[in-house]
Amino acid sequence: MTSAPGGSRACLRYKLTGAAGGVVGERGHEYVRHLSGEIGEEVGARRAAGEAVDDLLALVDLIVPYDMSHNAEPDAIDLLLEVDRVADLPRHVDAGNAERAARYLQACAAYLPEPEDEAALRAVHAVHMRVGRHAGALRVGLALGDAELVGAAWRAAADGGERCQLAYIMGRAGFVPDLEEGSLAVADEALRERYFSCYSNSRLPELYAALGRDLDVMEPKLPEDVYKMHLVEGRVPTGPAVDSARANLSATFVNGLVNAGFGKDKLVTPGVEDDAVHWVFKNKDHGKLSAAASLGLVMLWDLEGGLPAIDRFLYSNDPHVVAGALLGIGVLSCGVADEVDPALAILSEYVGGAEAWPRIGAALGLGVAYAGRGRADVADLLAPMVADPDTPMEATVAAALGLGLAFAGRAHGGAVEAALQALMLRGEAELAHPFGTMLALALGLLFLRTGEAVEATLEVVRTLPPALAEPTLATLRACAYAGTGDSTIAVLGVAMVASGEELGTAMAYRALEHLLQYGEPSVRRGVPLALALLNVSNPEVGVMDTLSRLSHDADADVAGSAVLALGFVGAGTNNARLAGILRALSSYYHKEPTLLYTVRLAQGLTHMGKGLLTLDPYHADRALLSAPALAGILTVLFAGLDMKACLGGRQHYLLYALVPALHPRMLMTLDEEGKQLSVPVRVGAAVDVVAAAGRPKTVTGFQTHTTPVLLSAGERAELGTTKYLPLTSVLEGVVVLRPNPDWVEEAE
Amino acid sequence: MVRVEVKWQKEVFKDLEVDISAPPAVFKTQLFSLTGVAPDRQKIMGLKGGLLRDDADWGSTGIKDGSRITMLGTAGAVPVAPTQAPTFLEDLPEDQQDVMGLSKYGAGLENLGNTCYMNSTLQCLYGVEELREDLARYAAASLTSTDPNATLTTATKSLFSSLSTSAQPVPPMAFLLSLRKKFPQFAQQARQGMEEGYYMQQDAEECWTNLLYVLRETLQGSSPAAGSAVERLFGVRLAARLTCAESGESLEEVGTAYTLKCNISAEVNHLADGIRLGLKEDREKTSAALGRIAPFVGSSQITALPPYLTVQMVRFYYKADVQQKAKILRKVAFPAQLDVFEFCSPELQAELKAPREAAKAAEDAKAGATKSGSGPAAAGDAAPGPSTAAGPADAPAPATMAAANTPPAANSGALTARYELCGVLTHKGRSADSGHYVAWVKQGDGRWILFDDDRMEVREEADVLALAGGGDWHMAYLLEDPKAQA
Repeated sequence: MTSAPGGSRACLRYKLTGAAGGVVGERGHEYVRHLSGEIGEEVGARRAAGEAVDDLLALVDLIVPYDMSHNAEPDAIDLLLEVDRVADLPRHVDAGNAERAARYLQACAAYLPEPEDEAALRAVHAVHMRVGRHAGALRVGLALGDAELVGAAWRAAADGGERCQLAYIMGRAGFVPDLEEGSLAVADEALRERYFSCYSNSRLPELYAALGRDLDVMEPKLPEDVYKMHLVEGRVPTGPAVDSARANLSATFVNGLVNAGFGKDKLVTPGVEDDAVHWVFKNKDHGKLSAAASLGLVMLWDLEGGLPAIDRFLYSNDPHVVAGALLGIGVLSCGVADEVDPALAILSEYVGGAEAWPRIGAALGLGVAYAGRGRADVADLLAPMVADPDTPMEATVAAALGLGLAFAGRAHGGAVEAALQALMLRGEAELAHPFGTMLALALGLLFLRTGEAVEATLEVVRTLPPALAEPTLATLRACAYAGTGDSTIAVLGVAMVASGEELGTAMAYRALEHLLQYGEPSVRRGVPLALALLNVSNPEVGVMDTLSRLSHDADADVAGSAVLALGFVGAGTNNARLAGILRALSSYYHKEPTLLYTVRLAQGLTHMGKGLLTLDPYHADRALLSAPALAGILTVLFAGLDMKACLGGRQHYLLYALVPALHPRMLMTLDEEGKQLSVPVRVGAAVDVVAAAGRPKTVTGFQTHTTPVLLSAGERAELGTTKYLPLTSVLEGVVVLRPNPDWVEEAE
Repeated sequence: MVRVEVKWQKEVFKDLEVDISAPPAVFKTQLFSLTGVAPDRQKIMGLKGGLLRDDADWGSTGIKDGSRITMLGTAGAVPVAPTQAPTFLEDLPEDQQDVMGLSKYGAGLENLGNTCYMNSTLQCLYGVEELREDLARYAAASLTSTDPNATLTTATKSLFSSLSTSAQPVPPMAFLLSLRKKFPQFAQQARQGMEEGYYMQQDAEECWTNLLYVLRETLQGSSPAAGSAVERLFGVRLAARLTCAESGESLEEVGTAYTLKCNISAEVNHLADGIRLGLKEDREKTSAALGRIAPFVGSSQITALPPYLTVQMVRFYYKADVQQKAKILRKVAFPAQLDVFEFCSPELQAELKAPREAAKAAEDAKAGATKSGSGPAAAGDAAPGPSTAAGPADAPAPATMAAANTPPAANSGALTARYELCGVLTHKGRSADSGHYVAWVKQGDGRWILFDDDRMEVREEADVLALAGGGDWHMAYLLEDPKAQA
């Protein structure tokens, strides 16, 4: 029967004609697979014809349990997907096959159209819940952005270590649960405070410092330690006799990035007492803004130590310094929840002020501090500032980007309205590059990955003047889902849509290569940044070579984009090869101030956090995307489309939009009490084990280390001991371990 | 009266009594006494309505027993801007913007068409600090002066002053014009080939010699008693003793040379060998006793040493068969420190003995004290670099090395006959009529700068010592050594 002509569905016909019910397995796997295939075809045909399919579904109910109990989870899931019954899957899983089933279905979801992908992910959630894999269920809930699914996982989890683990995952994803009241409430105050310390990220400075101590990188670094001018031939290591404002500004950023989160550096944290002139005042005009804000970068996440350090700059009589201090407060509070919300309390005082600079600092600071949180109080502060046509344009842009960061991917009505209003009320002259582009981006960030929700807004944008409408439309579509149009932004759009998915990435590379060879100059300029977006913190040799080639391009804009892209590709990796390329570039471009400045930024990014940080917006084994992180990266990439006018000009402070993307690329293991626990782990290249039979190894070419360890792009960790059980299957970030009750010490 | 908990930095004040009948300003004063933070620097959070204001109504803040309040603020000084705003590179006029940080070493010289011989010569001379000072004191000739010597010296003076102030390459136009006016051979133009009508490449050594000749005439030392500046800085007093084997008569000649020659033969591997050869004075001379021309043999000895010693590597010679000035590519090593003691006359040697021993003792003591201490303190500040020049047709092209020995401050005037390499002028190319000249000059801070026309680059001493020749790369042509400091 299995050799009957294709399309005859003879196998199914005889099965239906024969004995109803009973078993399907007696004729073996080949038969069942064939039958499954024919059921899929038949269901499709009958549904198209409007006929009933009950008899077929009864068969499905027989086949699925058979498949699930015979190591054929992919076959079962394929069948369920064919007949739109994927929600049935959870009924058939058990502890033995849940992991494989969930992994396969989750991988399938990426290729399903809306709304089937969501149904599939909901089924994955249910599978996890059924076998008590609460961390997995939580991650699915976070991926869907569904508070109900997140809550289900939280309610099902046991108090203590497990909920701590969930709280750490929420903290990494930027989800703040309400444990005071509502369905997630935790009655015990001590427990509630313990969970708070996990999801608020307030333990991050402590854990990060522990990682730094373990790797022995606590000593502050100077920009010169990054430039390594002594390795560059024919250059004076000391530089010019007179300070260059631009060189000092790049030193500010490099210093901030390299010492990010360590709480100590040699330029901005020393007090005025130690130094006659504070580093901030060695910067010119608006450079002081970024210099003061870099203090926030050095003190990243550390509210307790950072706020007192930055506080005194608020009383400066220089508006740039005040603006910098405000932005710095936003930067250091980024992603850290606090009961009294000091960032909101302080920054809100300045948002409505009279002076433009402090308003810029406060608005962007609010966006960075509450990136992705979607807080209404932030919208209430920023939206009026965006919509008010009397706000200075630069402040409007800062506020709009602040809104974009704070409401990344939330399509928040008030925020969208304010941004649209700014686009419509402002004259074309005011919206000339770069302000118009950045406003369009701010609007786009609000719709990041929201899909169809953007359509209504697109209609409004079409009514704008054509010169403005076109890039705005491209930005919006790219942000929401698809790349289109014939502009630089569309190039970035290609990468935005493809990022995070392997096949799409490979296709995007090919498309970009074509654009490079045949594209117009303005299109070519976007290509390096698109490549950067596809490889954030992932210095693949091929991409590095392409970018290194482009960094010597005759078109200075392409070269500048390529240099910045190199920084993104190598961000936080300390990649030696990349460091060499950038050093050579610093020598090659020593007479081109803008390009040299870009090279310095790239060097700072490469050595970000002394190699302990990553910018990658994807986490949890690339299953979760952090919208604020992506929004931050996009802001800087857009600002980098025209270095001279924007990132390399007076809007250098937009670089701080990157802060929401900064995360330690660590694996830190804790015991159930929250104390650090060192265990052996195997770290190696991640292996794709989707649909692989049995219990395949998930890493290859591994080395055994003791936690805490660093994880690079494309790497995965496995626990190297059976003494403990991890409370999450994805070993990334903070992992809580529980002693294995079945563990017996092996005899030596 | 309510009791609250106030958190300030890492401290927590528990059970703090707040009198809610008094305005919050009073509460702030209370906190001031606890923390030392002035009330206007206090930011009080954790209550409703954002930051607590001095005149806020307690009722609207929701304060109650057990409220947790956070106070932010520090007592430390507010950082203030320096009273004098710093000047940044970007604030300077463009020609003073020193992007590379090299302007303290001078500036590049633009190539005005085959003028690298002149540029490199000038850069080597610019490296001699005393010469710069003497030039600065020179009373400039009027613009209408018809004395070509005065015009050339004035042009040199103004060029050197631009080099010291500019951060951008300087075009030596006025200098070139006065040089060509005084020495028309430098205005020679090619009569055939691709370069027809263009000014030709010239020999750097010829430029060096001629320029020094003019400066010797015009330039006085710091005081009238010091005499000619060039004489004092570069003049080597030589005494030659010649004997005629046939008649047994001997005669003595004294004179002043401004460069020592390093002749290159098949036996010469090192600078000292070449200098020895160059000091040989075998020639034919009229013998008074014989009444005819007879061969005399002998050699010159140094009777007085200048602060700067110039040595020319005699690398170019006229090759009759191809009618070209060919170049000797032979590798001749030169040291970073040249000791000319062996070429000195016995009288001078006796004079040098004491300072040399003192210097040696000082050096030993220093070596004993700090093993890691770097070599002798950077002594010289000027080094000639390599340059390409086409030499005159008939004479073998000489290469010069100048070494000068600067006496240590504490031991003023006491020469040790040890010269520290401070400048090299090198030539790249196969014949004197082609190729390229550049200058390598050691700076006061011990760093070597390569002056290649308008470009300046930092180089290592090892790069300079590798200019010994033996290939097609730049090789030393003129060496300039100031005296080593003891």
